[in-house]
Amino acid sequence: MTDEDPTDRNAGDSREGADANFDGRKAPNVDSDSRETPNAVNRESLNVDSGRELPDGGSLDGEAADGGTVTGNEIPVQGAVSDALTAATHPSRSTVRHWLTTTNHKDVGILYIVTSLFFLLLGGLLAWLMRIQLWEPRAVGEGLLGAMAYNQAVSAHGLVMVFWFLSPFAFGFANYVVPLQMGADDLAFPRLNALSFWLYLASGLLFVVSFFQGGTFAGGWTMYAPLNLPTFTPDVGANTAILALVLFVVSVTVSSVNFLTTMHRMRAEGLTLRRLPIFSWSILLTVWMMLFAFAALLAALLILSSDRILGTAYFVQETAGGTLLWTHLFWFFGHPEVYIVFFPALGIMAEVFQTFTGRRIVGRKWFIAAMVLVALQSFVVWMHHMFLTGINLEIKTLFMVTTIGISLPFDLMVFALIYTLVKGRVRFTTPFLFAFGGLLLFILGGITGVFLGAIVLDYEFRGTYWVVAHFHYVMVGGVTALIGGLYYWFPKITGRMYDEFLGKAHFAAYFVGFNLLYFPMFVAWETPRRVFQYDAWMAPWHKLATVGAFILGLSFVLMFYNLTKSAFDGERVGNTPWEFSRTAEWAVPSPPPTENFPGVPTYRDGHLAFRSREATDGGSSATSTQPDGGVAADGHAGEHDHGTHASIWPFAVSVGGFLLFLGLSGIREGSLVEGMAGTAYLLAAVAGGLVVFGSLVAWALEPFDSPEGGFGEAWPFDGVENGKVGMWIFLASDVVLFGGFIGAYVFTRVAAGWTGWHPVPEDPIPGLVNTYILLASSFTVVLALVAAQKEHRWGVVASLTATIVLGIGFLGNKGLEWLHLFHTGVEPTATIQTSTFFLTTGLHAAHVIAGLIGALYLLGRSLGGAYLSDHRPVEYFGLYWHFVDIVWLFLFPLFYIL
Amino acid sequence: MTHTKLYTVIFAVLFVSATVQVLVEFAELAYWTAFGIIIVLSVIKAVLVAAYFQHLRFEPRSLTYVVLIGLAAALALTLAASYSIL
Repeated sequence: MTDEDPTDRNAGDSREGADANFDGRKAPNVDSDSRETPNAVNRESLNVDSGRELPDGGSLDGEAADGGTVTGNEIPVQGAVSDALTAATHPSRSTVRHWLTTTNHKDVGILYIVTSLFFLLLGGLLAWLMRIQLWEPRAVGEGLLGAMAYNQAVSAHGLVMVFWFLSPFAFGFANYVVPLQMGADDLAFPRLNALSFWLYLASGLLFVVSFFQGGTFAGGWTMYAPLNLPTFTPDVGANTAILALVLFVVSVTVSSVNFLTTMHRMRAEGLTLRRLPIFSWSILLTVWMMLFAFAALLAALLILSSDRILGTAYFVQETAGGTLLWTHLFWFFGHPEVYIVFFPALGIMAEVFQTFTGRRIVGRKWFIAAMVLVALQSFVVWMHHMFLTGINLEIKTLFMVTTIGISLPFDLMVFALIYTLVKGRVRFTTPFLFAFGGLLLFILGGITGVFLGAIVLDYEFRGTYWVVAHFHYVMVGGVTALIGGLYYWFPKITGRMYDEFLGKAHFAAYFVGFNLLYFPMFVAWETPRRVFQYDAWMAPWHKLATVGAFILGLSFVLMFYNLTKSAFDGERVGNTPWEFSRTAEWAVPSPPPTENFPGVPTYRDGHLAFRSREATDGGSSATSTQPDGGVAADGHAGEHDHGTHASIWPFAVSVGGFLLFLGLSGIREGSLVEGMAGTAYLLAAVAGGLVVFGSLVAWALEPFDSPEGGFGEAWPFDGVENGKVGMWIFLASDVVLFGGFIGAYVFTRVAAGWTGWHPVPEDPIPGLVNTYILLASSFTVVLALVAAQKEHRWGVVASLTATIVLGIGFLGNKGLEWLHLFHTGVEPTATIQTSTFFLTTGLHAAHVIAGLIGALYLLGRSLGGAYLSDHRPVEYFGLYWHFVDIVWLFLFPLFYIL
Repeated sequence: MTHTKLYTVIFAVLFVSATVQVLVEFAELAYWTAFGIIIVLSVIKAVLVAAYFQHLRFEPRSLTYVVLIGLAAALALTLAASYSIL
């Protein structure tokens, strides 16, 4: 690739008809007599350059090994060949160890899918409990569930389905499919990807544990204040549920950074964003929303955890600062979250419609533009969840307008999908039925949502089953399309076909069950939400809904039976079982080999082709400067690449995280729960902390070659290597995290009266001294980088040492200041002023501590002469450290002066 | 060497402007005047650190935009939420 002329490469970018996956815009000929083989995609759009080298150096196809072009022939990928490929690179796929240590995106994708389906069962079981209780209106004490048990079932059902099922299910597909669609060997940071999964599992298990700690959180999935405080939800399990969410958000953040870096930096040559397949587009936008929305949720959850565990006083305030603060923080996350869970479903609908109508989606460009618009608009509609709170009428009106506004791009997308059906020739396969069903359900869910977006109507509908019915039509409508995705990619993932009849039977039962379950809720909309008492006349409708719930749930038995059985003895499939499937995942064997592609994928000539790895990178260990200026250590190394890409440390970190958070749950407002349990919690926290720390050190020391980007399209980060892009994306989410904390402070202070509020430390001088110290430490980090660039080992060592000394000085000075405040009776729990002061500057101090640990690690390595030839770790550390410095530059005036 | 000099000058500017912030507070100006000066100084310092210490000035602008998008989100939340209770 080094000898490529970049202008030559870019020449293809401006080509009209930019969808790389569709050669020409004409609808494929779908006349029955022209349906010859299921491999239409290969014959029409796939050229394979040169011999496709196997990892062992062999070739799939002797005739092609001379560099000739295979055109117009199917790729020999059937049975034996693909098995040999799999066996060579996955010697131990059936062992537990393989699955604990794998970092391959396809394995991680499978882990996500399987785990999320487990949480679907858990959430479904909780829903059944609720539906049984709702069979008839009951007084407290009647029926299967007590009042508090019902509250727990309602809350846990919502949390499990939204967080631990919906998004992770979609991200199973994202993990598996997106790198294939965009021509990458793997994600940019494979170990972080594994970490995302294991943290997700750990957080889910932590949530399960919460049921057994006196009871899980019972305050509704929205966790409104003040119900989210220990006064109302006193169980240890309630703490655990919230900490589980914190751990989940950590997983999401890691995953977001990873996906964004990968999707922007590692697309195949010629695969510009304009040409990116639509499912990948939906994931890209989802991840952008996740990056910022979940950071706001993290701020909310950390403040809540602090209120519960340390006893700070944010949400107990009786001014607007208390309960409204939570709703703002939560819904700033919560509304984008609706699209975060729905976009992947939308992408699957579009993808599946294209395949099974044999037609490119109508108005593809506009469809994508509409998605981009929704992603942006999703951040300015959150207050429509707060129409019945005390916010002022002006802002309510504004948010009503933005809410109606966000329905417009959706109209466009829905019509594009419908028109695609009209123009194409539909084949009613199982994936299509689910995607189409999902669209119908979403239309109904969307329309009923418009009612809720009108302030006046919301006064009537809020807190009723209208809302419940509406968002289930939207969210479970999305699930419907995701199930379609599961059937769609099942042959790709397993290499075998599911049973079509059972698939269709599943759809029939599912669709009937769904509508029996949720439609009666519109009729009986006056039922109050979250309780099991309602007017007797609505009982028949609720009985119908309960019957529907069982039909819907039991329909999954068909799916699990079908997929489990087919995974072992289904009919084998080649590259693709679908006619007219056009995206790149269908151009490789099913399941794809470890390194995904037989060569380096390129779309330079307007269609997918593979170029020989040797020809492009001159050997698998070569480091070369890419045309875009980025440094790449061979993005598509073949043989040894993933064979050794196993790491136990993501798993170990997650085990530690699980123990640490479990231990923290045993603390309530500053003190451990009593008795032996308290000691056990303390031990768990300490052990967990040590495991996390040790595993991270081992992780850092473990040799591991991540795939590098820059081998193809990297807009808009051409010339910036993956690590730096990842760091900046992470810092952008950290901006929102601190933004949430500072925003909470500003909001609380506005609620209390801005000028009547005085800084907690009476003397700004200790703060000023700390500002000096931190600025000086930033300066020394800069000097460390300069020294590293000059290959001056002792300069690096001295500068890093100075940084560490200054960092410790900062913490020491802060410690003295805090001790002084404590002695004068100023404590975090005293007032909202002290709470905001200690918690916000405390979060900053935690960042300093994390930075110091990083600096110590760098210092240790630099003593041995590290970073002289590759100074990037020092640079990345500096980016983080300066960011922490910048935050302080605002915290200092806000908390010490103004 | 010039780079090191530049960094040193910026460090000095940061150091001085932090001092000025506290002096402004002690100068007994009208509250919102002082508020304005102090916040503007903080913004200037932040821009200097980001532009030179984090060398965003010399990177593709897209990295700056990513951070600015995060900042815009945080400001939207803070300002709209605060306005909603006025």
